[in-house]
Amino acid sequence: MSDASEDNKPAPPDVSPPTPPAASVAKPLPKPALPKPVFPEAKLNHANGRLLTDRFATWPQAIFDSAWSRPSYRMGAGLLAGIVIGLSVMSIFIGELTPWGGKIYALLESLARRQALPAYVAPLVWILIKVLIVLHIILLNGLWAIWWERKISAHIQSRVGPTYAGSPKGWNFHGWAQTAIDGIKLLLKEDITPAAADKWVHALAPAIVVVPCVIAFAPVLFGQNLAAANLDIGTLYIFAFAGITVIGVVMAGWGSGNKYSLLGGLRAAAQIVSYELPRGFSVVPVLMFAGSLDLAVIAKAQEGYWWGVVPKWFVFYPVVGQIAFIIFLIASIAETNRVPFDIPEAESELVGGFHTEYSGMKWSIFFLTEYGYVLLGSLLLATFFMGGGASPLPFVPFTLIPSWLWMLAKAMLMMFVFLWVRWTLPRFRVDQLMDFCWKFLLPWSFANVILAGVYLAFKWA
Amino acid sequence: MNSEELFAKIQAGFPAVERAAIPVKDYLTLRLPAKEQLLPLTKWLRQAGYDYLEMITATDFKGPVDMNGYIRQPNFNPFLPEGATPEIESAATAGFPYKPVIEHLWSFVSISDKTRVFVKLELPREAPSVPTLTGLFKTADWQERETFDLMGVIYEGHPNLTKILTPDFLQGHPLRKDYVHIKDRFDE
Amino acid sequence: MSDIATPPALATSSLKTDQMFINMGPQHPSTHGVLRIALTLEGEVIVKAVPDIGYLHRGTEKLAEVRGYHHCIVLTDRWDYVSAMPNNLVFCLAAEKLLGVKAPARADTLRVVMCEMNRIASHLLFMGTYGIDTGAFTPFLYAFREREMVLDLFEMLCGARLTYNYIRLGGVMTDVTPEWIGRLKEFLVYFKPRLDEYNTLLTFNPIFMARTKGVGCITPQEAVNWGLSGPNLRGSGVNYDARKHDPYCGYETYEFDVPLGEEGSCWDRYYCRVREMRESVRIIEQALAKLPDGPVMAPGVAKVPKPAPGESYAHVEASRGDLGIYLVSDGGISPFRMHVRAPSFVNLAMLEEKLVGMKVADVIAILGSIDIVLGEVDR
Repeated sequence: MSDASEDNKPAPPDVSPPTPPAASVAKPLPKPALPKPVFPEAKLNHANGRLLTDRFATWPQAIFDSAWSRPSYRMGAGLLAGIVIGLSVMSIFIGELTPWGGKIYALLESLARRQALPAYVAPLVWILIKVLIVLHIILLNGLWAIWWERKISAHIQSRVGPTYAGSPKGWNFHGWAQTAIDGIKLLLKEDITPAAADKWVHALAPAIVVVPCVIAFAPVLFGQNLAAANLDIGTLYIFAFAGITVIGVVMAGWGSGNKYSLLGGLRAAAQIVSYELPRGFSVVPVLMFAGSLDLAVIAKAQEGYWWGVVPKWFVFYPVVGQIAFIIFLIASIAETNRVPFDIPEAESELVGGFHTEYSGMKWSIFFLTEYGYVLLGSLLLATFFMGGGASPLPFVPFTLIPSWLWMLAKAMLMMFVFLWVRWTLPRFRVDQLMDFCWKFLLPWSFANVILAGVYLAFKWA
Repeated sequence: MNSEELFAKIQAGFPAVERAAIPVKDYLTLRLPAKEQLLPLTKWLRQAGYDYLEMITATDFKGPVDMNGYIRQPNFNPFLPEGATPEIESAATAGFPYKPVIEHLWSFVSISDKTRVFVKLELPREAPSVPTLTGLFKTADWQERETFDLMGVIYEGHPNLTKILTPDFLQGHPLRKDYVHIKDRFDE
Repeated sequence: MSDIATPPALATSSLKTDQMFINMGPQHPSTHGVLRIALTLEGEVIVKAVPDIGYLHRGTEKLAEVRGYHHCIVLTDRWDYVSAMPNNLVFCLAAEKLLGVKAPARADTLRVVMCEMNRIASHLLFMGTYGIDTGAFTPFLYAFREREMVLDLFEMLCGARLTYNYIRLGGVMTDVTPEWIGRLKEFLVYFKPRLDEYNTLLTFNPIFMARTKGVGCITPQEAVNWGLSGPNLRGSGVNYDARKHDPYCGYETYEFDVPLGEEGSCWDRYYCRVREMRESVRIIEQALAKLPDGPVMAPGVAKVPKPAPGESYAHVEASRGDLGIYLVSDGGISPFRMHVRAPSFVNLAMLEEKLVGMKVADVIAILGSIDIVLGEVDR
């Protein structure tokens, strides 16, 4: 108001209400005294006369004592056991999910009949519900897998990972909210399109990457006969759609207008197309044994136990099963562009590879897709090689647990392998990667097909 | 072969090469009479096992460094009173033979003999030029470029004698004693 | 090696593609600072590589000409900032030669201990970052866990974690305390088994070996001709170590081996460094066992030293190679001329030739294996 110093105009009349006298204002409550910070006791190095803090109190023995001697470790292990047991007990009460789906569908049908709606409404709504469920599984998997990867990588690297995100009131159990808050951050981030980029290609690439991933989940089994769609050609369908993603990756590399991205995109094209082959051929023995491309039939074919103990999973078929399992696992890791096959991203060479120029939500869609494919790979591994929803042991406490929880447990075990490999191994070079695929994996997967044929011919399987 | 034997051998082959007046302490230091002697001597040394070119450098003996040329604030210590003696100073020492000469120095190491020999050559300040050693030692490439960049010595026959450390727009050769910094866009 | 070094496919290929020019650096995660390499690519193969340095040039050689001898030690810290103790040491050795001062026995032993500790810290940093360069992130954090301990010890000793300024003209800054020595011994006991862990995790990992063995091979003749030093030279099998060839600080009284490589590949250079850490532990143990009593500072070092006119050269085996200092005194209070024979600078020069014909991924493997510090390259 009193900006008379600016020019020589007379100051405008002061119309603001007179400020109340200071005494009438309620005094702010005195702030509670903060607790005095406790610093480590300072030590004086008398020989030198300088002040030194003892930052050595924790190293080296205390860190590398037996972890079980620490109460926090014991508490955490107890909590984990509690979660596992609680989940199992809960799942026993819920039971199989397939009847629930039937009930919901019957409800929908009766509702539609009461409203005198056309006959196609109920199936349509049911399909929509299933699509939404699958979509949310992929999204929630992103939340969970990123947090889990951070924790696992941290513990592999002798760190602790996220610990604070959550609530300031003490509900910050191992930073459970880290990914959610990260997601909010990514949503709020500026979405940058580089000046050199091909605008449309750059914007479309994330969509073309993520959509095939979601579509590919349609026939995936989440339990016994628990899938969004029952397809006779489920296996073929999944591989076909998963292969489309590479187009989006190449588009991202090309459209970014960055040479590193371009190199990353080209590498991705070569890599993913190559690894489709061993991935497909490694499953052929499984298909031969099961005699179908339908995932539900494949899972069904693995029921039963040898000598009443060892489940008849394909991974336990001597030699042929193990080779197929390992090749499929390696090829799945390569398909998801993760270490040791992350040459399209190759942080230390290509900065970020095909997603160097992406930021905010577009970038996180790439990230989400990666974890979507990790989940897809884990679920396929569980279905093809580990009996799907079958219980590993034919005893009472295990057989009571419904198939969807077994499926989840096996998928999580496989996902752990994905993360474990990611944080342990270095990266291949481009030509070594190709050599490994064409000169090692592919011949062995061919040999494995022949071996499976021999098994079938002699009726060993 | 210790340094005495080496010097005797060099004397036999190159009678004009003598010991430097101011040697590098503890090491054999030779003084070349003219730059034409450099390549023959280097070749001989290389055959005699001194095949590791350790260092190429040069010293400008013009006089004490011209501080006004590049030190903006001699008293950078804010606690010093006004007009105090500058913390950074550079003054001529009485009795030191300053001369308008750039003294070039090479050092060769014999890994098998565990000895090293320094070779000195005096060059005129106006147009210092010596033959390049890049044909014999690949390590001479960058080290000669560095000396060219900072000291302004021209190497005859160097394949790529360009600036290496200082920015492209920098004028002059900073390690010369009379170097004066011209203000550029990075000042202030 | 020859089939990797030369791209025969390029010469005979009838398929003509455009060459791609890529600026690797100065902002790049793997150039270890502000190094720029101008790469010309044919597909993924490098046709031409031109390293461009000088982004970190601070002119310390010129700055030394207007600073006192004591002040110059501060400048030395800034060259190879991941292992600053040998930098301090080499300047002090050169200046002590000019001054005619000899450090007391206890100070000499302490200098040896500090330099070897710093070598461990520096090689740990190399090992960790080389893991990252080849795509393995985890060894980096293991390496830093141990490196932190060395830095903690330095902090306890002299208050600094990176730029120590600990070794002074005529001795060292302060004496060590018995508590500090106890900590150091604890660290050594803890550290020795860790080396085997690194070997399991990274050194003998098949993927890592495939990435680095047979890549960027340097023959002994080439290495000597390029003037390489340190593990880069010894990785090629040339036995040149300043600690053995021109002993300083009483290195001749310690018993240690000089690890040598076989074929001079990236893996050999890497493995030389890993084995050097073990030798450093041996040296430290011997030094602690024979640590003599007495003062840590020679008497009679002036506050403003004015050495008699003369020239001196001192060199030490720093973590990255043969670090030398050429000092000229005109009798004044500051060096008349100081030249640094920086090992990183000399080692880096071979990159231009070695990268041709390699893949983009090999650039990182070779550059990482030379182990440069840009502060020392540019000075």
